[in-house]
Amino acid sequence: MNRFASFAKYTIMIIIAIVSIIPIIWMISGASRPYAELFKYSNSFNIHLFVPVQPTLQNFKDVIFNERNPFLTYIGNTLFVASIVTVLVLLINSMAAFAFAKLRFRGKAIVFALFMSAMIIPGEVTLVPNYLLMHNFGWLDSYKALIIPSMLSVFGIFLLRQFFAEVPDEILEAAKIDGATMTRTFARIVLPAAVPPMITLGLMTFLGNWDSYLWPLIVINDDKKQMIQVAIAAFSSAEGTDWSKILAASTISTVPILILFLFLQRYYIQGITMSGVKG
Amino acid sequence: MASPTTTAKPAANILPKKNRNSFLRGEEMTAWWFVLPSFALLLIFVFYPMLQAFIISFQNYNLVGGTKSFVGLDNYKSLMTDHSFLASLGHSFYFAIIVIPIQTCISLGMALLIQKKVVATGLFRTLYFIPVVISTAVAATVFKLIYNKEYGLLNNFLELLHLPTTNFLSNPDTAMNGVIMLGMWKAVGFFMIIFLAGLNNIPQDLYEAAKVDGASKIQQFFRITLPMLNRTTAFVVIITTIDAIKISGLVFVLTNGGPNGATETAVFYIYQMAFKQMQMGYGTAAAFILFAIVLAISLVQMRLFRNQDY
Repeated sequence: MNRFASFAKYTIMIIIAIVSIIPIIWMISGASRPYAELFKYSNSFNIHLFVPVQPTLQNFKDVIFNERNPFLTYIGNTLFVASIVTVLVLLINSMAAFAFAKLRFRGKAIVFALFMSAMIIPGEVTLVPNYLLMHNFGWLDSYKALIIPSMLSVFGIFLLRQFFAEVPDEILEAAKIDGATMTRTFARIVLPAAVPPMITLGLMTFLGNWDSYLWPLIVINDDKKQMIQVAIAAFSSAEGTDWSKILAASTISTVPILILFLFLQRYYIQGITMSGVKG
Repeated sequence: MASPTTTAKPAANILPKKNRNSFLRGEEMTAWWFVLPSFALLLIFVFYPMLQAFIISFQNYNLVGGTKSFVGLDNYKSLMTDHSFLASLGHSFYFAIIVIPIQTCISLGMALLIQKKVVATGLFRTLYFIPVVISTAVAATVFKLIYNKEYGLLNNFLELLHLPTTNFLSNPDTAMNGVIMLGMWKAVGFFMIIFLAGLNNIPQDLYEAAKVDGASKIQQFFRITLPMLNRTTAFVVIITTIDAIKISGLVFVLTNGGPNGATETAVFYIYQMAFKQMQMGYGTAAAFILFAIVLAISLVQMRLFRNQDY
């Protein structure tokens, strides 16, 4: 009986695993086979549904060197924006988190409450006014619109503040006695100790920006400046039937993220767990 | 052993009073400099737009025509009788009502399956989580092809089981179910991780005691696991509800609201109004109504879960 139960359990686990990754495997295999082959084996349930008969990199080449849809440019744009946002998010929000965790100043409780109250303000409501703000600043079609409003991470402040709060006061006092300024203490002692939560926040910020769709769709009109997600969505509706190329474009934009995740998943999962703790 | 504090405190007291004050003032200055950048961003990109949204929602605001006039409650009044807005709310609620129970149960089930640290559970956790890191646009694009009637993976599978095949996305009656399946595929792994954290926080001796008392696995689940998970479940249900009612990203790529407006959700409608028809005041008023509905539901849910708390 017990063996039956454990057999059933593993069967269910494997089925869920298959459902979770089959679309991705299918995407990658479809991207690396000729167009005709994709349809030839689509109605059969043999191994070639997933394993290419004639593996090819042609689809990737076509997509990368496409003049109308320069995917390399889109990936470069997105990498540029997401990296800058990540660095600035880490810098700006760790400073605020440190002040909230360790420094004494008047109005701290109120200011912190203001930050936390921002968590319930939905982006949908502020979408139009933020667009108008970009319009008035003259930032439409510029990366400023993608970078500057994204530099604030209330969740990040919340996450890092909890971590900084556990740094012993004695260490800060000792640094103070030694004549170090607060800024120096922060940069030399507190930040180096906070590498794990910084990786968590950095990873979440980077992936969030890599994935962002609606905001770039609204503020960026110039095709050459577009972000990868908008480009893929546009590509998949424009190229309609050219599945191999659509899958190749999707694969190119997914695989780097997948690898990054596999190496750093511990930190990512830590971040989600932290967000669950606050509830 | 003299701890650093005991040496620090007298040292601070030796300093003249005025000096200490100036030091505190120095700390206060530093603190404000540290908070200033993010506080400025908060005011400019969150609070000011929120205030602005409130004002715009009472205006007839058209960016293209450059017109802007105060119309009082007109936007809100016409939204109350606007069929396509009400229909879009209906679609969002349909999505939410299906997704909340099913997705919560599946993610809890997955967490229970891989909770015990035995062979390969780490691998399964990674596999289950992969859909979460796949971007919305890519996931929707791939699923669009999977749903295809002639060549798609899903219909192949249905055929294999001798079930009728359909083109999910071009039939108004089933298109939303296609969105729902994709939505759950992408989100269950995320909530599984949250449930996993909740499960790991339950003290193991409770189960030991229950075993001694002869409680079955099922009794243990309903008498220990579920009650102890109450706060985690509350968090998952509330977040799922908010996310589900605000669903939009998947719809943009998977169906673009079609066929025949069958998958037009509330946020999709807001976007269409504000940025396609350039009715910014009207769209923002719709966003406020949606916000009020979501807030009200969240508050009710919090109250319900709190009543169950021990």
